[in-house]
Amino acid sequence: MSETLPKAPVRRALRVKPATTEDKIFFGVSAAAGYSSLVLIVLILIFLGLQAWPTFAQQGIAEFVFGTGWSNAEEQYSIGPMLWGSLLIATLGVILAVPMAISIAYFIEFMATPRLKRTATLFIDLLAAIPSVILGLWGLEVFSYVGADWGRMLNETLGFLPIFSNVAESFLRTPFIAGVVIAVMIVPIISSVTREIFSQVDDDLIKASIALGGNRESTFRKVILPVSASGITGGVLLGLGRALGETVAIFFVLNLVFDSYNWFNILEPGGGAIASLILGQFGEATASEVSALLAAGVILFLLTLVINSIAAFIVSRAQPWNNR
Amino acid sequence: MNLEPVARPKTAEPWARTTARAKMLQIVGSIVPIAISLYAWLIAGVDPIVVVLLILLPTLLISIGTVGFVLKGKRGIPDAALIVMTFYLGTFVMVLLISVIWALTEAGFRALSPHFIYQNNTYVTPTDGLEFGGVGHAIIGTLLVVGLSTIITVPLGLATGIYLTETRSNGRGFVRVILQAMAGLPSVVAGLFIYSVFIVTGISQYAGWLGSLALVPLMLPTISRVTEEALKLVPQELRNGALGLGASSWKAFFQVTLPAAKSGVVTAILLGVARVVGETAPLLLTVFPIAGTNLNLLSGGMATLPTYIYRFVALGFDTSVARAWGAALVLMIVVGLLFGLARYISRPKSLKKKKVKR
Repeated sequence: MSETLPKAPVRRALRVKPATTEDKIFFGVSAAAGYSSLVLIVLILIFLGLQAWPTFAQQGIAEFVFGTGWSNAEEQYSIGPMLWGSLLIATLGVILAVPMAISIAYFIEFMATPRLKRTATLFIDLLAAIPSVILGLWGLEVFSYVGADWGRMLNETLGFLPIFSNVAESFLRTPFIAGVVIAVMIVPIISSVTREIFSQVDDDLIKASIALGGNRESTFRKVILPVSASGITGGVLLGLGRALGETVAIFFVLNLVFDSYNWFNILEPGGGAIASLILGQFGEATASEVSALLAAGVILFLLTLVINSIAAFIVSRAQPWNNR
Repeated sequence: MNLEPVARPKTAEPWARTTARAKMLQIVGSIVPIAISLYAWLIAGVDPIVVVLLILLPTLLISIGTVGFVLKGKRGIPDAALIVMTFYLGTFVMVLLISVIWALTEAGFRALSPHFIYQNNTYVTPTDGLEFGGVGHAIIGTLLVVGLSTIITVPLGLATGIYLTETRSNGRGFVRVILQAMAGLPSVVAGLFIYSVFIVTGISQYAGWLGSLALVPLMLPTISRVTEEALKLVPQELRNGALGLGASSWKAFFQVTLPAAKSGVVTAILLGVARVVGETAPLLLTVFPIAGTNLNLLSGGMATLPTYIYRFVALGFDTSVARAWGAALVLMIVVGLLFGLARYISRPKSLKKKKVKR
């Protein structure tokens, strides 16, 4: 009996496969281009690694990364203070930038009228468009003096805290000033990611919160922030990655100190940044120093690659509508 | 008996309605602290940063908090704090931005003159005044270096965009993450990469085309992401229609999808160019900045606007920094033009942006 019944056709997955040669070439080329970014990253790692190898082999990776001192005479190179300085300045920049960026995103998404929204977006895009060399010039010629005044005031009022202490009598070229310049640079990055996330918070959730008696503040704290927390984290990490890689602006406004760590005295004129070290020493570098600078580049690259990949992963998970 | 429900407009938001009394209170509540701060700054002569931090912020919090309490009771107070902080921090960023733009225009226009745009720097020493010499050679250099870079990157970025939208390959999510991570590639590392491949190995001396290559990894993520966004906006029905009429995929793409997304792709290119035109570090490591004009990308040094700014700032004389401000203004105008053009071209689409309904 069962043989006589017609069999239902098996459901096939609908899939378009490239049929003609042209299509095969078309899709092949586009896939190759898609993976070219991966190839590029691997190539960067291989070539920098190859040239940097003599330094790593001669000094040992741990000594190179955590030691102090940068001397051509002894051919001894260590980036410890620079690495720590990069992290210090980037952290400072992020701490300053996050409240500003979230405020702007909140204003644009939940408070502004459409007209004001467009204007504010234009302003933030304009800020994002300023090349870092111009921000560095502004930092050196304009902001340094203002920032030094702020630093002096912080030192006079809160100087009993070790973090605001200063023994050098000068408040110019400090990590604090570099941190503020970096903050100006990364506010647009963080706020644009945050704005994107805020704009996708379900309107019904917000209305439900208001209907249940929530006010602006409790809606923000208990509904909007928890829903968008992971996306904001991703945006902050993207900003951190950018801050670590910033070169010229920090080079202009910071005094690089190679032979000692500036652990957390953000008002002392002295600190470090790997990218600025590379720029600063490159001009008159000897062969072995070039290898050391390339090694510093490898460390910087790995650091930002890890942070940015984590950030990109978090952001892409927080924005499922972008992955269709 | 009529039991028809009363028609209520969909946009009615009873909680958002304001009365004249509320508006008055809000205006008075925000003007009073500003007036107090202005008094403290201009007449009592307190330091501006102290005024902004220790007078304006607390008085604003207190007065807006009071207004909130009067209007909405206890729930109004945290609301007021949120609104005050939002405006306060937002204004702070605006002030920083305006300070940058102001310094740039003020110092930049002082250096700007017709000959500053078209002359080069051949006989100029750092201590010379602004009577002669200019950034003409750097403008030409920037055009050449960034132009070659664009020619290399656009096909690559476009093809990446195609891969991300037109195929259903499983690797797309991974490529997106890689591209996003690459967008944060430190620009100095891109320069070091090209330096270690071509200059350390002795394949080439410092030259313009190496600078172009160093800009490729910085430009690629922007172009491919924005192209992807543009291609996503093309309705799926258009593609299906073309395929249903018997077109092969590549014909459907080049004759239907790409023309439909034309303005978006142009925007992508403009944004990509604007992203790299101000990059300094990679060019410092790969192109030797010279004072004269050089039209040959394949050999010899070449000045570009960002490296010109860097060099003249690093020299440290007042006159050289003045030149750097002039060049910075020129660079900012170039970037501004690119962004303005990109916004203008993509305007109708970005206005139609709508929320995703789930």
